[in-house]
Amino acid sequence: MAEKTDVWQGTMTLMVLRTLEAMGPQHGYGLARRIEQTSGDLLQLNYGTIYPALLKLEQEGYIRSRWGISENNRKAKFYELTKAGQRQVRKAAADWEQTTEILARFLSPAEEA
Amino acid sequence: MRRLRALWMRISGLIHRRNNEDFSAELESHVALATEDGIRGGLDPVEARRQALVRLGGAEQTRQAYRERRGLPWLESLMRDLVYGWRTLGKHRGTTAIAVLSIGLGIGANATIFSMVSRFVLQPAPVGDPSTLMALHMTQDGDECCNEFSLPVYNDVREQAKSFSGVAAYYELLPASIGGYGEPERVWGQAVTTNFFDVTQIPILLGRGFIDGENSQQAIVLSAGLWHRRFNSDREIVGKPVILSGRAFTVVGVAPLAFHSVDQILNAQFWVPLGNVNQLAPIRNNQSDRGFHWLAAVGRLSPGITRSQAQAELNTLAQRLAKSNPKTDEGRGFIFEQAGTLPPRERGTVLVFLGGLTIVVLLVLSIAGGNVANLLFAQAASRQRDMAVRLALGATRWRLQRQLLLESLLLGLGGGLLGVMFSLWATKSLSSFHLPAPIPLDLSVRVDWRVLLYSFVLSGLSGLLLGLAPAWAASRPLLANALKGEDALARPGRRISLRSFLVVAQIAMSVVLLCVTGLFLRSLQSAASIDIGFHSQNLLLMSVDPRVHGYKPEKTVAFLTELEQRVAALPGVQSAVVTDMAPLSGGARSDGFSVDGHAGTNASSANADLYMVEPGYFETMGIPRIAGRDFGGEDAAGPKTAIINRAFVDRVFGGANPIGHHVSGGGTTYEIIGVAGNIKSRTLGEDLHPVLYRRLKQSIGSDPPLMGCTLVVHTAGNPAAIKEAVRLQIHLLDPTMAVYNEETMEEHVRSAFFLPHLAAALLGTFGCIGLVLAAVGLYGVMSYAVSRRTREIGIRMAMGAQPGTVERLILRQGMVLTLIAVALGWPAAWMLSKLAAGFLYGIQPHDILTFTLAPPFLAGIALVACWIPARRAASIDPMQALRAE
Repeated sequence: MAEKTDVWQGTMTLMVLRTLEAMGPQHGYGLARRIEQTSGDLLQLNYGTIYPALLKLEQEGYIRSRWGISENNRKAKFYELTKAGQRQVRKAAADWEQTTEILARFLSPAEEA
Repeated sequence: MRRLRALWMRISGLIHRRNNEDFSAELESHVALATEDGIRGGLDPVEARRQALVRLGGAEQTRQAYRERRGLPWLESLMRDLVYGWRTLGKHRGTTAIAVLSIGLGIGANATIFSMVSRFVLQPAPVGDPSTLMALHMTQDGDECCNEFSLPVYNDVREQAKSFSGVAAYYELLPASIGGYGEPERVWGQAVTTNFFDVTQIPILLGRGFIDGENSQQAIVLSAGLWHRRFNSDREIVGKPVILSGRAFTVVGVAPLAFHSVDQILNAQFWVPLGNVNQLAPIRNNQSDRGFHWLAAVGRLSPGITRSQAQAELNTLAQRLAKSNPKTDEGRGFIFEQAGTLPPRERGTVLVFLGGLTIVVLLVLSIAGGNVANLLFAQAASRQRDMAVRLALGATRWRLQRQLLLESLLLGLGGGLLGVMFSLWATKSLSSFHLPAPIPLDLSVRVDWRVLLYSFVLSGLSGLLLGLAPAWAASRPLLANALKGEDALARPGRRISLRSFLVVAQIAMSVVLLCVTGLFLRSLQSAASIDIGFHSQNLLLMSVDPRVHGYKPEKTVAFLTELEQRVAALPGVQSAVVTDMAPLSGGARSDGFSVDGHAGTNASSANADLYMVEPGYFETMGIPRIAGRDFGGEDAAGPKTAIINRAFVDRVFGGANPIGHHVSGGGTTYEIIGVAGNIKSRTLGEDLHPVLYRRLKQSIGSDPPLMGCTLVVHTAGNPAAIKEAVRLQIHLLDPTMAVYNEETMEEHVRSAFFLPHLAAALLGTFGCIGLVLAAVGLYGVMSYAVSRRTREIGIRMAMGAQPGTVERLILRQGMVLTLIAVALGWPAAWMLSKLAAGFLYGIQPHDILTFTLAPPFLAGIALVACWIPARRAASIDPMQALRAE
């Protein structure tokens, strides 16, 4: 089994936004679980850290929250993307792709010396 | 944007505390969901819950992270410190009150003086884009500064100088009477070229400015003040006629309230096109004479042109004009500065005056600051246990320092607030000082935004600076001592404490302040004993200007003679006489005079002030007639006669008998028929000045006075009581005649004391404040010293020291500090007093009396300030003192 990685700075927001976009409204626990699963259990996520991240996104107006009932009938707080959030996912994703692409160029073996 | 929104939500998160429960519920549901998952995965409920909590990473840590994200942690702790600081200040009410009052007085003094700086130095003219509007002056080789423009030179500059997109000229002071809408009134205005309002870009309040081709039209722009006062803010006034000096002028506009004149000093009330100046002003010379300089000029810099480019162009232009008009323009040049700044002639004096005052008020603030720093030290000493406990519990020094700095910052800002209130009151009373000039000046000072900003920065800065040293000291107590309850701020082996240093600086500064104050009080005293040369009691002054009502010279003389006779016949009136202007009016007309037949020698020519009088003037005014006879029997058109004063005789005739000789000046020859005593002609401070009196009847036609004519009434009783009766006589002769400058001679002379009064009032106030503050400071330091030495004194007394010895011990300590301070402050005052030289009346800047009396006076105050704590020390009961441990 591959070594588990900590979530590094800045990527958590994108993961949360992207997950919300894919799954629709979701509560904190579900989001955390889903992020872990999506990463193929490669990410070691401290579940508690997702809440300050969610709060920040909410303060910035990318997501909103309301209380609801989970699939197994528990009261839980559900988060969903706002319009601004949907725009932000696309923008952040594009940014991220560009960043990784640039980095990939540095990391790929030199084609000729 | 997003960041701002988030910041806002975080700040509001500080206030909405109830979200805590919301988050607890969310965490609870998280753990419940995770536990259920665990149970489904086959764990027993207890283990499942434990694992859920582990995966969460600890509920408390999560809560903490959430809290920090929700609010702004640094802001929260800052607020906590602020609240704590506020409470501490509230607990030490006495200390806080003294500190705020001290800083308040200091800031108040500074704000007041700065409001003068702001008004006279910083405030730009109320014109459009003030930074590109220049006031132009002409210069003459060898002359210091500056002359006005002649009409042809102005036209040349306007047409040829490409650096200016527009140049306007104006005649600065135009007297007139305004009629209609109630009693006639004397007003002052300006005659301007028709492009004046376009060049200055003054936003006209109502109607419009002047337009091309209107130069000779009888059109008028009113000041907002005149419009409010006299025309009831009539919004329909544009297009209506007003009667100006007997002529109907059509109102075309109303100027904005803020605009009085480009130079911001003159208080003009109307503007008319320049072409009207012929009818309105008594201008002798030919207006289109190239050598007659009578117009002020302002120019608007063209876009993109720098001042040095414009200056270079004007220099070339001056050379070109000198070539084409060698007779009048040779050696002349142009200079300019931003319009609305101080006129170049007065700039030096005003800057020295304001600079000196600024130094003085900064001294006051420093003395006040010394007190506050001392109080803060005392407070720090009493709180050292508290500090030590907080340090021992793990607070950082920075946290403690921040706490103390916040407190002193609060004190500073509180003091600043109080100071601004002081200065609101002070600027109001400053504005009520009346300047000794018969022309309308606007010298009011206000607390404007610049003053507010300055006070805010100054009070914040002094708060921080004052707190710095005490905060540094207080955050470093000797822990072991402090926790035991001993003095932890007194470092072992340090003999000169910071507090003694502060108090020495304070006293030294108040020595300087006291000397300067003493100088100006002495100056006021010596000004009061100046012999003005005429009576100031039982005289009433009242002015009229028949010329602006369309009177011809003969009619004017007839009017004035009739008025003299009617008023002289009033009950309670001993005599009445007309003159052109009362002495001590801040200025006078003058001409160079030389003795006929003696021309060429230096001794026989002098510049003399000119007054027009009628027979009986000298007796009415109480000016002694020394030789020859009074006026009387002259013909209006006959040979002109004159009476001169003693200074004229000494200067021009070398003391020889002048009766019967002839003198010439201003193109006129006078036969001298008498000699009168010397008077102060323009200002109190002037040296003896030659004066020539001529017969009003003979000169009013050829040399009409700009200021009008003044009736001097000598009364048996209170002169103010007959004001109404005199005015009635004027209106019986001509109901439309405007009456102005009504005052008793005492009031008139009092306003001549303007400068010594103002200086003495300001410095007297500042000096007293500084002295009291320094005395309080010394008292505070000595009291503290006594309280710290209680045990030592107790031991001394137990060993047999007498109370008197102890008292002397403490007194000696205080007096040593005072002596050091005087030794430092006295030479500084000696050097600084030179700055004041130009503003003193009749005394030297190194006035012996002031400089010998100030140190012992201060030492006396210091002695009293030390004596109270010394008495306390002497009354210490040794048993009590030793047991107190």
